[in-house]
Amino acid sequence: MTSDASVFAIALRTLAVSGAALATALALGLPAALWLARRRFRGRKILVSCVNAGMGLPPVVVGLVVALTLWRSGPLGFLGLMYTKTAMGIAQVLIALPLVVGISLAALMALGDEWHVQVRALGVRGWRATWLLLRETRAGLLAAVIAGLGGILSEVGAVMMVGGNLEGETRVLTTGILMYTQMGRFSEALALSAVLLGLTLVLAGALTALQQAERA
Amino acid sequence: MAFRPPVLIAALAWLALLAPSAAPGADAPELLLATTTSVRDSGLLDAILPPFTAKTGIRVKVIAVGSGAALEMARKGDADLVIAHAAESEAKLVSEGALVDRRPFAENYFLIAGPADDPAHVKGAASAAQAIQRIAAAKAPFATRGDESGTHQRERKLFEGAGLPPDPIWPGVLRTGSGMGQTLQVAGEKRAYVLTDEATFRAFRERTGLVAFSGPDPALRNVYSVLLVPPSRFGTGRIHAAEARSLAAYLVEPATLERIARFGAADGAPPLFRPLP
Repeated sequence: MTSDASVFAIALRTLAVSGAALATALALGLPAALWLARRRFRGRKILVSCVNAGMGLPPVVVGLVVALTLWRSGPLGFLGLMYTKTAMGIAQVLIALPLVVGISLAALMALGDEWHVQVRALGVRGWRATWLLLRETRAGLLAAVIAGLGGILSEVGAVMMVGGNLEGETRVLTTGILMYTQMGRFSEALALSAVLLGLTLVLAGALTALQQAERA
Repeated sequence: MAFRPPVLIAALAWLALLAPSAAPGADAPELLLATTTSVRDSGLLDAILPPFTAKTGIRVKVIAVGSGAALEMARKGDADLVIAHAAESEAKLVSEGALVDRRPFAENYFLIAGPADDPAHVKGAASAAQAIQRIAAAKAPFATRGDESGTHQRERKLFEGAGLPPDPIWPGVLRTGSGMGQTLQVAGEKRAYVLTDEATFRAFRERTGLVAFSGPDPALRNVYSVLLVPPSRFGTGRIHAAEARSLAAYLVEPATLERIARFGAADGAPPLFRPLP
């Protein structure tokens, strides 16, 4: 049942779902972090506290809430998204987003006001200033990427609930490992575990290399 | 400029995710089957569903949870049909009109298993009730699922049938709140007695070292049934009624029952399920 081809397909699906979720979390989270880092407004501290608390958001709670929303009996049930890769992606975005925003924000805030004053004195404004800021805080931002990816790649509770671990459709590495363990098929569970560990090592390694590279 | 690349990548990635799931899903009929775990974990569904899909073109999405959760999904219309082994809950839902067309299609026996040295002397008990009484009298370690699954419901009934409170509370009782495989592992490690379905027991027998003590006692008879969700209870188009009806009919076809009768027979072991005509 678990041929090499199906292991490959499960690994590829894991990467596709988590990759899409991570890209979405970055697309939403980076602008949010930039905004939170530079703006001062009433309620900002409460918002930042919420983000930081969200970094500890239990994925299984995210899974339950997404499931209750997307089930046919739920408010968005008519969309027919339950037990699809899209539902898994939605849950993973919700899990990764606070991690991306929280850690990016910490990295952006670590840069003192002098840096911004200098950049402005040099006449750099707008997008170019933002680009410089992102490059300057690259190490911290990549830490946010690594944390977000780690958070969703290793997660099992939420994706099991909203994906359903359907063979050939929504089975990813973590849900496959859990299923084979429950079935008592430990060699298959170990094989998928090895693939997951390998993927995590390679991705974390690549991102670390990027993070630690000499600044050009 | 800085944000465009991630936005673009995200958009492309989601398109890639949506495309393959939307393309076949649009026309190909599909079906959501909520089921008890044992028929999935034993591999029975893998043995009988592919011919159905090949014949009808209907994809079956299998969501394997405990019988309690599976019946609840069906009751709420979150599934199109359900396979369960909890006769009393099923009868109650049918009498309420929440589910219809209950059809038993396979059976086997629950097993009372425990450590090989059998500290409570369950081996040789005349009945399941007596076995339970001996375990309770010895206050032996006993692992219970405690999760409202079909197996858990049967366990409560067995305790009542043995003249005991349905929820055992002596100090050796371990409430796992988990699936059968996990509960068998706990029983194996803690050298506890446990009520289990035969399929999962076989898959874990080597690892846990547990031994089955019970015989084919009528109190341990385990009947798997398929039930349909009446589409009239929900809005039009929500329940895939025609597909569900066709799968339920397929499950009781002679050819399918023949497959069920052969399933699990290997290396001298008897088949795991007996088909019900």
